[in-house]
Amino acid sequence: MAEKPIQGEKRVFMTGNEVVAWGALAAQADIMYGYPITPQNEIMHYWSRLAPKHGKKFLQTEDEISAGFTTIGGTIIGARAFTGTSGPGNTLMQEPMSMAEMYRVPAVFIIQQRGGPSTATVIYSQQEVTLTTFGGNGEGYRIVYSTATHQELFDYTIKAFNTAWKHRFPTFVLADGYQAKMREPLTIYDPEAKGIEMVPTVPTLGKEGVPGVDRPPVHMTNTRNTEEELYEVVKGLQAAYEEMWPEVEEHEAVECEDAEIIIVCHGVVTRSARVAVSQLREAGIKAGYFRPITLRPFPVEPMKQSIKGAKQLLMVESAQGQLARLVKDSIYGSTIPIEPMFRPGIGISSEEIVEKVQSLIK
Amino acid sequence: MPVPRIVEAYVGEYASGKSECAINRALELLNEKEMVTLADLDFVEPFYTLRPIREELKAKGLNVIAWTTGETLGFGETGSVVRPDMRWVLSNPGHVIMDVGYGVKGSKALNLVEGSWQDPDLQILVVVNTARPMTASVEDIVDYVKALGPVHGLINNSHLGDETVVGFVQEGARVVSRAASMLGLPLVATCADEGLKEDLGEVDVTGTQVRYLKRHMQRTFW
Amino acid sequence: MEFDISMPKCWRRETKGHKFCPGCGHGLVLKALGLAIDELQIQDRVVFGCDIGCSLLAYDFFNVDTMQTHHGRTTPVITGIKRARPDRIGIAYMGDGGGYAIGSQHLVNAAARNERITAILVNNTVYGMTGGQMAPTTLPGMKTETSPYGREISQTGYPTQGPEMVAAITREGAYVARGTVGKLSQLKNMIKKALETQIAGTGFSFVEALSTCPTNWSTNAKDTWSFLEDEMTKYFKVGELKVPAKEE
Repeated sequence: MAEKPIQGEKRVFMTGNEVVAWGALAAQADIMYGYPITPQNEIMHYWSRLAPKHGKKFLQTEDEISAGFTTIGGTIIGARAFTGTSGPGNTLMQEPMSMAEMYRVPAVFIIQQRGGPSTATVIYSQQEVTLTTFGGNGEGYRIVYSTATHQELFDYTIKAFNTAWKHRFPTFVLADGYQAKMREPLTIYDPEAKGIEMVPTVPTLGKEGVPGVDRPPVHMTNTRNTEEELYEVVKGLQAAYEEMWPEVEEHEAVECEDAEIIIVCHGVVTRSARVAVSQLREAGIKAGYFRPITLRPFPVEPMKQSIKGAKQLLMVESAQGQLARLVKDSIYGSTIPIEPMFRPGIGISSEEIVEKVQSLIK
Repeated sequence: MPVPRIVEAYVGEYASGKSECAINRALELLNEKEMVTLADLDFVEPFYTLRPIREELKAKGLNVIAWTTGETLGFGETGSVVRPDMRWVLSNPGHVIMDVGYGVKGSKALNLVEGSWQDPDLQILVVVNTARPMTASVEDIVDYVKALGPVHGLINNSHLGDETVVGFVQEGARVVSRAASMLGLPLVATCADEGLKEDLGEVDVTGTQVRYLKRHMQRTFW
Repeated sequence: MEFDISMPKCWRRETKGHKFCPGCGHGLVLKALGLAIDELQIQDRVVFGCDIGCSLLAYDFFNVDTMQTHHGRTTPVITGIKRARPDRIGIAYMGDGGGYAIGSQHLVNAAARNERITAILVNNTVYGMTGGQMAPTTLPGMKTETSPYGREISQTGYPTQGPEMVAAITREGAYVARGTVGKLSQLKNMIKKALETQIAGTGFSFVEALSTCPTNWSTNAKDTWSFLEDEMTKYFKVGELKVPAKEE
């Protein structure tokens, strides 16, 4: 048994993709499967550098379809397995992701969003929200964490494995090209030292004993003959999803209690919102921000509570309303006005948010 | 007395601070020679490169050999295209400072530069930040530097971004200095943010000269 | 009257009679595979993956752990399993569409990487489950639902020579063969050698089995057999294409 990759905790300085590789290592991931695409490449670069030193494995596959399906294979045989992708790779990977939903395979997917549609830019966007939350043919039975800082990237990479293996839904860490590439300090740690216990993995296939003799064989099929049969299966998935919902949903609500205007954002844009809110407060403007951390399952009730007293929402995202669709669906019935600030594929600064809020308050 | 020609290549881990050290070094050398060339040889998924500030650095008088962001089609995917003037960078008169990207090939990236291994003045300097877990301990640094290929010296650039305190830089100097002596290489300099100058002084705890950095790279993202 | 129902030991009796059409070759390929598993005594170590298409009907065929995947994706799923648990014996079972069309990139790259898995591909020259469309292996001039005037070679190319392709891209140590349900004992031996290759860990192993689809060929028993034996073998030569060198 190799020595623990991280002893105790340590303050470090690195880029987001490296953070993911270290987070997976700290989470005792066994194997990564992946295919190159910018801006997630350094997850593979660093994982493949670190892996052999710690008795871990890496497979570079022929494409993202294969990366997703090999990840499912590794997971179903009981390994803590993950993959990472972006943009067109995320599109290709929807096929295995949907199979992971149907079979409830606790695979972990890291998505570093880039600009779209199509090849577009390799830089940054928040345009893979719809794809990551509801891509694939089905109902979006996934858990999606949207991170804002390197610390969160590390924390939620570890958490993703635990959430996946506890609840058995495919789990995603959704970040973006900025987070992938920017550098900042964070604390990396051995989860055990923080009292975080890794949820043990169990093989679905390939357990001990002779199938049919010592135990029944495991025969997995996701094919259903009739509408009614499928309906039962989907209702079962839905019930399981709803059951874990309150336990898994996460959000951050800052200065919302007395806020007149609430900025709604997620992911890296939260960083700008945070600065904007503190500047606006200093200027005497009652602003706050609400940020879903889980985009799936969406923190519906916390959001309804947080916006109750506000007069206006400002939706800020680096996409043309992909977060807004999730929000509107969640707060249905509320008559609060929503002001859009949609900037597909482009970064949003705190100054721009401040300016926008000031123009709305006037 | 003629000033000897300085040719330095900065290599090192991702986010070790290569580019910042290289820019500052090039600007510092501007006072010595009429022509100082600064070349961006970052070919593995480049970002945080000189590209966004090329024109600004040119305005300061540097001969900057780099792409600009708008010229590169697709960045990481086709952005690692070598320009002819990068290949021939060493034929420039005066001092030459090369910012070489990270990557497992280490100083072998200089194979792409014509005449690099014949250049008698070439100094390959490894920039080390001990806040990076793969170069945090003496042993790790020694292993890492050994894997890079030919190297002439180490630079301690230990920092935690805006959180950096003097003690961290000094501890980094101790660690990097020990690694340097195990490798039989000089610790050429410690680099630190200019804001630490008052507390840190002219030399670090190991007696190594401190080069102070004006930070340019914060603005260079993508 | 009592019948001597001779089934491989690893077959799951509860799921027999099987789900395939009368005259379908799948049952024979799976019999050859079952016998090979029995002879090698690896029932407890096998993980079996089947594709979409008719091969999906094999999902509960054996007393071995089985995962039905998507069309063409059985190769990567089994690859992922094998990479994570090299002590398991991974078998990817697919049709000609799964292996040579939608999943061809997986077959090619698994072979090129020398994945230590066994791929068994059933070649019956048509897409069966979707209703008899043209497959990569459809013979020249052969009528299918999407080649209603006969496969036009100038437009759609020649039948894919799968084992020849796999043999060309694998290295020494791999096992590649083409068998036929017309010669069951030979097919069983090929599958057995393929599995032995995986167990020895010398390389990728691949067996294409020429098989029958009377339903989509619209043939009676006699014509089914003659299509298999006479027509298919004109394009698809039965035999071993690559055999690992014997260790001294």
